Amino acid sequence: MLARNQFRVSLRQMQFKQGWFMRIVIAVMMVYSAFILLTLGFFFDRFSIQLWPNTTPVDVVNRSLLAGFVSLFFIRFLFQKTPRMKITPYLHLPLQRRDLILFFQSASLMSIHNFYPLLFFIPFWMRYVAAEGPLSGHLMWISAVCLLIVASHFANLLLRSTLRHRSGLFYIWLSLFITLAFIDETAGIGLQQRISEFLFGSILSGDFTSLALLASFMGFVVVASTVSLFRSVKGMGEASAPEQSLVRSFDVPEEWGVLGQLIRMELLLMWRNRRPRHYLFVSLLFSTMYLIFMLSTGGSISAAAFAALLGLFASGGFVLNYGQLMFGWDSTHYPAMVTRNVPFHEMVRAKLIVLQLSCLLLFLASLPLFIWFRPDLVPLHFAFLFYNAGVTTILILELATRNSQRIDIARSGGFFNYEGFSAKHWLWFIPTALPPVLFMQVLSGSPRVALVSLAGLGLVSILFSRGWTRYFARGLHHRKHSMLEGFSSRES
Amino acid sequence: MRVELNKIRKIYGEKIALDVPAWSLDDGEVLGLVGSNGAGKTTFLRILLDLLQPDEGSVRIDGRELALDTAWRGRTGSFLDRSFLIEYLTIPEYLEFVGATFGLTKREMSDRLGEFESFLPLSRVDQNRLLRDLSTGNAKKVGILAALFVHPEFVVLDEPFANLDPPSQIRLKDILVSMAAEPGRSMIISSHDLGHVTDVCGRITLLESGRIQRDIKRSESTLADLKDYFAGEDVSSAT
Repeated sequence: MLARNQFRVSLRQMQFKQGWFMRIVIAVMMVYSAFILLTLGFFFDRFSIQLWPNTTPVDVVNRSLLAGFVSLFFIRFLFQKTPRMKITPYLHLPLQRRDLILFFQSASLMSIHNFYPLLFFIPFWMRYVAAEGPLSGHLMWISAVCLLIVASHFANLLLRSTLRHRSGLFYIWLSLFITLAFIDETAGIGLQQRISEFLFGSILSGDFTSLALLASFMGFVVVASTVSLFRSVKGMGEASAPEQSLVRSFDVPEEWGVLGQLIRMELLLMWRNRRPRHYLFVSLLFSTMYLIFMLSTGGSISAAAFAALLGLFASGGFVLNYGQLMFGWDSTHYPAMVTRNVPFHEMVRAKLIVLQLSCLLLFLASLPLFIWFRPDLVPLHFAFLFYNAGVTTILILELATRNSQRIDIARSGGFFNYEGFSAKHWLWFIPTALPPVLFMQVLSGSPRVALVSLAGLGLVSILFSRGWTRYFARGLHHRKHSMLEGFSSRES
Repeated sequence: MRVELNKIRKIYGEKIALDVPAWSLDDGEVLGLVGSNGAGKTTFLRILLDLLQPDEGSVRIDGRELALDTAWRGRTGSFLDRSFLIEYLTIPEYLEFVGATFGLTKREMSDRLGEFESFLPLSRVDQNRLLRDLSTGNAKKVGILAALFVHPEFVVLDEPFANLDPPSQIRLKDILVSMAAEPGRSMIISSHDLGHVTDVCGRITLLESGRIQRDIKRSESTLADLKDYFAGEDVSSAT
C-alpha cells in the first residue's frame, strides 16, 4: 500500500510539479550527463593518459575515489530530499512507526543520485578493473563502490537531520572538514589521496579487511540515520519551545518610522527563518572559507573572467542568493503589508538598503583574505563592491519584484530547498553575471580601465537609488494583484 | 469614510463569486455581513481591501478609486486571516510595526494598547513568543488588536468571534460596540455568529451565492428573521 502510494506521488510530482520548460531542460541535462558518464566509464584511458600519462586508469580512479565521493556527496546534499516529510501523512494511521521508517529509509534508496554514479563505475569496472588482480578482487571492488554509494546516501540523510536539529554542530563539522581539506590541499600532504589509493588498491588485491572497514562505515551511517529519523518522527506534532536565540531583537530609532521597522523586519526575517538564515551562512562561508581555496590556488585566477566571477560572489553572494527571492519571502504575510500604510517605495528602499549593506559587510569580511592571499586582486574586490551594491542589487531586485512564487517561510526548511524558484531565477543569472564577466574578459588587456568602468557604473547606479526605488515601487503597484494571487497559491 | 461598490463582479470559471450592482456604506455606519459558507463574504472583503481585483466594476472610498489611491490604508484597520500577521515577529514587534504605519509614537502605542488590556492582557503574555508559535485563538486576538488599537476610521474584520473563548468573545463584542458608538467610524464585520453580529451592527447585509439577498436596518426582529432565513436555507447550495 505504501509502495503504491509513493509510486503515485512520484508520478504526479513528475507530471505536475514542473513546467514544460523545466521538464525539457531537466531531460536534456539528464541525457547529457548520462552520456558523459558512460563515455568516461568506457574510454577513461583516453582522458587519463592526457593528464596522468604514467598512471594506470585504475590507479587514477582509486586515488580519486574518496574525493569523488565527497564531491558527489556535496551534489547530493544540495539536491536530495529526506524521507521525513513523506512519513508525516501516515503517522495518524494504525501503522507501526518502525515499519514506516524502515519502508521510507529503504524507498529513499530509489534515487537518481544512487544510480547515476553506476553509469560510470559499471563500464569502468567491466573495461579496466576486470583486467587487473584476482576475480574476488574485482567483485570486492565494485561492491566497495556500491557500499560507498549507499553510505553516502544515508550520510546525507544523517547530515540533513543534524542540520535540522543541531545546526550548531553541523556548522562546526563543516568548518572542521573545510579546514582539514584546506590543510591537506595546501600543505601538499595529499593524505586523502593516499588513503583512497591504499583502501581501494587493497580491496582490488582481495584484502577483505578493507572491505569490512567500508561495510562497517556504511552500517554505522545507516543505523545512525535511521535512529535520527526515528527521533525526528517521534518529535513530530509535539509543541516545541521557541528557540530563545531566535527571539533576540533590537530596537530601531523611532524617527526612522516605517522604514526603520521594515529594515528591522527584513533582518529578523533572515535570522528567525531557517532557509533565509542558511542563505546568509552560505554567503558568509563563501566569502570566507571557500574564498580561501579560490585565492590560495595561486596563479590559477589569472583569467579575467574567472576573477570577475570571484569578485561578483565575494561581496555579492548574499544579493545573488537571498535577494532574488525577496518579496517571495514575504509571500505568506504580503496581505499584511499591502493593506497597511506601507508605501511600496519604502518597502523597496528597505530591501535595497539591506542588500547594499550586505555587499559592504561581505566585502569587509573577505577583504583580509584578498590582502593576505592575493593583494593584486584587492582593486578588483573594491571595484566589485561598488558594482554589486549599485548594479547587481538592482538587477536582482528587478527579478525579485517580478516574482510571484509562494514560499512558506515557516515551513520552508533545510539547505537548498527550491520552493519559490522557477526557470526564470536560473536564467536570470545570465544577465546578472555575464555582463561583468564578459566585460572583464574583453578588456583583459587593460584591467584598470575595466575595473574603473565597473566601479564607476556601480557608483552612478548607487547615486540613482532613489530613482530605482520609484521604478520598482511602480512595478509592485502594477503587479500587486498578480503577486497576491501567486503568493496565496500553494501549488507554486 | 464612505465606501461604494459599483457594478462589482468576480467570477471564478463558471461560478459567480460576487455580483453586486450597487452597494454603499456611509460614514459612521456599522455593518454586519452574513451568509452561508461560500456565499462570497470573504471575496467581498478582499475586494474591499484591494487584495483581489474584481473582473468588473469599481470600489470607491470617499469618492476616490480604491486601486489608484492608497490614502485609505492609513485610515483602515483590518484583519481577515493569519496572512495579516507577520508570523516571525513577536507580539510587541508586530504591534510596533502596525503602530508605526499609523505614525504612532511608542508612548501613544502603549497608551492605546492599555485600552485593550481586558481583551488581550499584554502584560501577561509571553513577550518572546513568535506569532507563529501562538494558538489560533491568541493569534486571532493579536490580529484583531492590531486592527483596532490604532483607532482607525474604517474597520474590516472577518469572523472576529470564531476561535475565541467565550470571555474574549464577550469582551470583543463590548469593545466593538463602544468603538461603533464613536462618531465617524465605519465598520464591516463578517460573521456566522448571528447573535453577536446583530448586537454590534446597526445594518445587516445578507449575501448568498455572491449576491446580496437582503440589506436591512437592525430591528427587534432582525435576529429572529435571520435565524428563520438560515433555518429554511438549503445548505447544500452553499457548497
